[in-house]
Amino acid sequence: ATGTDQVVGLGLVVVSLIIFTYYTAWVILLPFIDSQHVIHKYFLPRAYAVTIPLAVGLLLLLFVGMFIT
Amino acid sequence: GGVPMTKLAQWLWGLALLGSTWAALTTGALGLELPSSCREVLWPLPAYLLVSAGCYALGTVGYRVATFHDCEDAARELQSQIQEARADLARRGLR
Repeated sequence: ATGTDQVVGLGLVVVSLIIFTYYTAWVILLPFIDSQHVIHKYFLPRAYAVTIPLAVGLLLLLFVGMFIT
Repeated sequence: GGVPMTKLAQWLWGLALLGSTWAALTTGALGLELPSSCREVLWPLPAYLLVSAGCYALGTVGYRVATFHDCEDAARELQSQIQEARADLARRGLR
């Protein structure tokens, strides 16, 4: 692969790693960290950890659905 | 003897087992007293697995795009053959 292929591919890898790391910290690690710790400032209330992926998933389905009708 | 299970059946079976375990634990149907931090990790687990699977898929696609083995000589040869064919057809009066 050359040029833009490499850039786009690498970009996708980096994005997926960032999302995975942040989401893992949000869902798996935060409950075990003391609620007074400053790190909680960087995360929304954990209910959003389910509603945001749900909304994104729905949008993706709608987007794909546009090509079916 | 029985018919071997298809891959789909295996996946559905596994999902059903995991799903019912998760539901039993989250609703407290098993009567277990889990510490609150464990319960906090437990209830979003299905969403977590889905997002993780999505990230894995996206990352794999990106990785394979970036490391794809191009055949530049073959591509150039193919392009020149296309030009030749076009010129040839044009000469014969076809577009």
